[in-house]
Amino acid sequence: MIQVDGKAVPWRKDMTVTALIRALGETYDYPAVRINNRIVSRPHFDQTTVPDGATVYLIPLVAGG
Amino acid sequence: MTGLIFKEIKATTYQRADIDRGYAGQTLAVDLGTPEIQTVPVTDEMKTRFIGGKGFDLWLLWQAVTGSTRWDDPENAICIACGPMGGTPAYPGSGKSIVTTISPLTKTVIDSNVGGYFGPYLKFSGFDALKITGKAQKDTIVFIDGLEKKIELLTVDGLSDNAYEIAGALTDHFGRGKPGHISVVCTGPGARHTFFGCLNFTWYDAKRKRARYKQAGRGGIGTVFADKGLAAVVVRWDRVPLDVNHPADPEAARAVGKQYSKEIVALDPKQNEMARVGTTHLVPIMNDYDCLPVNNFRYGQHPRADLIGRDVYQHLFDPGFDGCWKGCTVACSHGVKDFVPLTGPFKGQAVFVDGPEYETIAGCGSNLGIFDPFTILEINFYCDNYGLDTISVGTSIAFVMECFEMGLIDQRQSGGLSLSFGQRDSALELVHQMGRGEGFGKIVGQGVRRMKKIFADEFGADPGILEDIGMESKGLEFSEYMTKESLAQQGGYGLALKGPQHDEAWLIFLDMVHNLMPTFEQKADNLHWFPMWRTWFSLCGLCKLPWNDIVPEDNKDTTEPARVMKHIQWYAEYFSAVTGRKSTPDDLVVMSEAVYNFQRIFNLRMGFGRREHDTLPYRAMGPVTVEEYESRRKRYDTQLEEIHGVDITGREAAEKVALLRKFREAQYEKLKGVVYQRRGWTKDGIPTVATVKKLGIDFPEVLEVLKENGVTA
Repeated sequence: MIQVDGKAVPWRKDMTVTALIRALGETYDYPAVRINNRIVSRPHFDQTTVPDGATVYLIPLVAGG
Repeated sequence: MTGLIFKEIKATTYQRADIDRGYAGQTLAVDLGTPEIQTVPVTDEMKTRFIGGKGFDLWLLWQAVTGSTRWDDPENAICIACGPMGGTPAYPGSGKSIVTTISPLTKTVIDSNVGGYFGPYLKFSGFDALKITGKAQKDTIVFIDGLEKKIELLTVDGLSDNAYEIAGALTDHFGRGKPGHISVVCTGPGARHTFFGCLNFTWYDAKRKRARYKQAGRGGIGTVFADKGLAAVVVRWDRVPLDVNHPADPEAARAVGKQYSKEIVALDPKQNEMARVGTTHLVPIMNDYDCLPVNNFRYGQHPRADLIGRDVYQHLFDPGFDGCWKGCTVACSHGVKDFVPLTGPFKGQAVFVDGPEYETIAGCGSNLGIFDPFTILEINFYCDNYGLDTISVGTSIAFVMECFEMGLIDQRQSGGLSLSFGQRDSALELVHQMGRGEGFGKIVGQGVRRMKKIFADEFGADPGILEDIGMESKGLEFSEYMTKESLAQQGGYGLALKGPQHDEAWLIFLDMVHNLMPTFEQKADNLHWFPMWRTWFSLCGLCKLPWNDIVPEDNKDTTEPARVMKHIQWYAEYFSAVTGRKSTPDDLVVMSEAVYNFQRIFNLRMGFGRREHDTLPYRAMGPVTVEEYESRRKRYDTQLEEIHGVDITGREAAEKVALLRKFREAQYEKLKGVVYQRRGWTKDGIPTVATVKKLGIDFPEVLEVLKENGVTA
């Protein structure tokens, strides 16, 4: 299992961030996520896998200055 | 404090009414020349039209200067104001001061929004705004004692030149054992020697037992401050209860503040973690999206960017509460303790560094090709201590580094310094030279616009390439986002009233990443709405960060997530509760629109504020060099072929650079026209008479300025 925004979500081997967001049924274009205290931006969603037991936060808005 | 000798040159007592619905009801005018101290009532008209904060500043500044006033003329004023919402610990981000003056860089109005205790303490001491004109003959301190209801002008001997020592000494002296009752505004020696001196505003960190800093950085306000002979402005106040603003509807004000604070506490740890890492989270994200300026905005990405971002600074920041105002739950003003500089007057001594924030990291790090977090800390520390704006310092050094690499200048001009990108020692040496007013640093401290002229006229450099790579607009150095791929952000910078600062319209992500505004009309709509909305924070004494750095969980499901309308509704409720002036979100935008247009006309009065002044260096729009083009060749080739219908077969890169430039410059010019129309301005970028009438700013002197510039309808 992994924790996504505080909720338990089933983990799958080789699950990418893109696959995770799809599995959550999310259609919103998240600009970034945080996985185990490390930021991953959307350009890397396809190549980044989520480890088992990870704590994930979906970052809804990057607001800048 | 031993060693300080104060001499009173003028003093007066005054009446202080209780704050009523967010207002103190009077302003304070200090003329350092005569010297003279006056209190002036705030009129209902001022509240209605200008709201407070920057609005009050602009109105006071407008009355102080003429169209021919230069930045160093005695009549130029430094105005500092809070705002009707400012100063309560009950609402996050309520501790802002807004500062305006005529800038030595842009020669017209500059404004800066800064944290720290000063603005709220000024208001509680009895003044919605402070206006300082004239010039003192000797280093002078303005001391506003809200507890004793007394204002003193004092000369001082024995005060250090270094900003940190000034703040510490004056906090100790005037605090009388209660340092938390004091806020100090001061600058440092670099402000005298450069055109981009900043102001440091203190807040007292009770845990670490030290005066900490926030900066009114942009546009050389510190340089004006130093030129006036001001050593410091100090205010003294004590208690700040939740209902300190005496809101019209205390219960409603408390309720909306409580829910906002609660939401931030709950959601910030899940979102951008401002309370833990500040704005350092932006470094890796900007880098991933090709927006992080690298080597004078040539590129937007670098493989070593992770070395200067959140992952590193989260371990360097000293944990604890870092709110620059009481009760703020965003609390993003982080710092590093026991940092030991390797150079300069504090070499080998453990110091506390306030920062760095994203802009300093990008400006004094990646944009200089420096990916060492400790060098960035050292530049940050010395800029604060010397009273220098880290953004202008970074962008100016980036410019000279590129000039050096291009062979436009060499070691004969740089005083022997090797200035290639990544030269940490040289960057630091330039900062020290700016602090001392010596060597090549004295030229760099004049800013990019003046350097372009010096390099062309005196060093024989090609003025065309200097224009293309010198990252300033209106005379102000760019803040730290790489805008080549976002036309909307080009507008956000180029059309900003004070020059290319991101606080008006940070649209780069919405445009480039989310593609939310593909048409010119959509871009124009956002280049209208966002600057108007964001101006409102500076009218009220508020920080913008709570608005959209932490957003409601259901925000993504709303029709316009980027505008975070639920929060704007809360701001409307809060404004209504404090002032008693019932307002909707749309009303807030209209309030700003009036002040925004007034500032545009103020620019016009000072000889600016037309289409010709809303220009950008080409580096902000596209690749200047073949090297830049080649670094993103696939992107640019595709755009030429698919968007512009160019057959690129057999074309040399230099030819493609020129073709792309033609298209992009035309796009930017087109954008300006569409935005002007959306804002109710003429094709030359001047507000029409109909627009100023609609906004209620059709004062005779405003109409006169429009008439002088050929606008009569």
